Amino acid sequence: MNTRLLMTLHVKVGTLLNIGPVPHGIRRTAPLAGGTFEGPRLRGTIVPDSSADWQLLRSDGVLEMDLRFTLRTDDGALISMSAFGLRHGPPEVIAAIGRGETVDPASYYFRTMPRFETAHPAYSFLNRLIAVASGDRRPEGPIYTIHEVL
Amino acid sequence: MSDGIESRPLMVLRLATAATQEIGPTSQGTLMIFPVIGGSFDGERLRGTVLSGGGDWVTAHGNGSFTLDLRVTLETDDGALIHMTFTGVRDDANHYFRTVPRFETAAPKYAFLNRLLAVGIGEIRPEGPVHVIEEIL
Repeated sequence: MNTRLLMTLHVKVGTLLNIGPVPHGIRRTAPLAGGTFEGPRLRGTIVPDSSADWQLLRSDGVLEMDLRFTLRTDDGALISMSAFGLRHGPPEVIAAIGRGETVDPASYYFRTMPRFETAHPAYSFLNRLIAVASGDRRPEGPIYTIHEVL
Repeated sequence: MSDGIESRPLMVLRLATAATQEIGPTSQGTLMIFPVIGGSFDGERLRGTVLSGGGDWVTAHGNGSFTLDLRVTLETDDGALIHMTFTGVRDDANHYFRTVPRFETAAPKYAFLNRLLAVGIGEIRPEGPVHVIEEIL
């Protein structure tokens, strides 16, 4: 599969909201306190008030992520980004992430599939592409390396 | 973190479709439904047939681009049922046809499908749509 770098997204997570056990698993929401993104064709910041990660820890131990971010480019365009993701790995690695430790991102599976929507002509190419992100959960928040699928 | 995204083949999915149902202009675009009446899938780890009763809900956006929303049921050659969905983008102007499949199954042998993300490369052939699906590693 051919891909090329779209952007690296540094996310700063705010205070987690633990919803708790729900019919399909354990639900938690992670509002974002902010962040930045940078790539060859676009760069800017994450708009904090409309960005969060809705998480569901499934009974099979897989964490499902439903991310909705609003990005603001350095030239003022607003981009709506949504992504479905999965995170899972050996219990000791997942436990270390839970304790706020930095672990090798190659030791667990953390991938998302971002989609973008924008009305800004300079970024309309984003409306027509599929992307894959590789995640790296750091104590302050995840880093997503997002590649466009060519 | 590795810089690129690595993948490996999961399956080639061939869909047989019935006559298109033209719903027409909706709030999202022009909606067409491609009923899926059969097909096959084949990969190193799984193979079988596509059951009748699925479909691909395709919305045309008027600029040569389409969004896809498919759901089908796969039956493996050893009798497991797999619920498969994908959303995707088709942009004829750029010869771009990519999908993001997801799988759900209760069969322990195929539980790996519940834990993976995948990307499909689509192509319209005379005999029907063909999707080459790769697992994202």
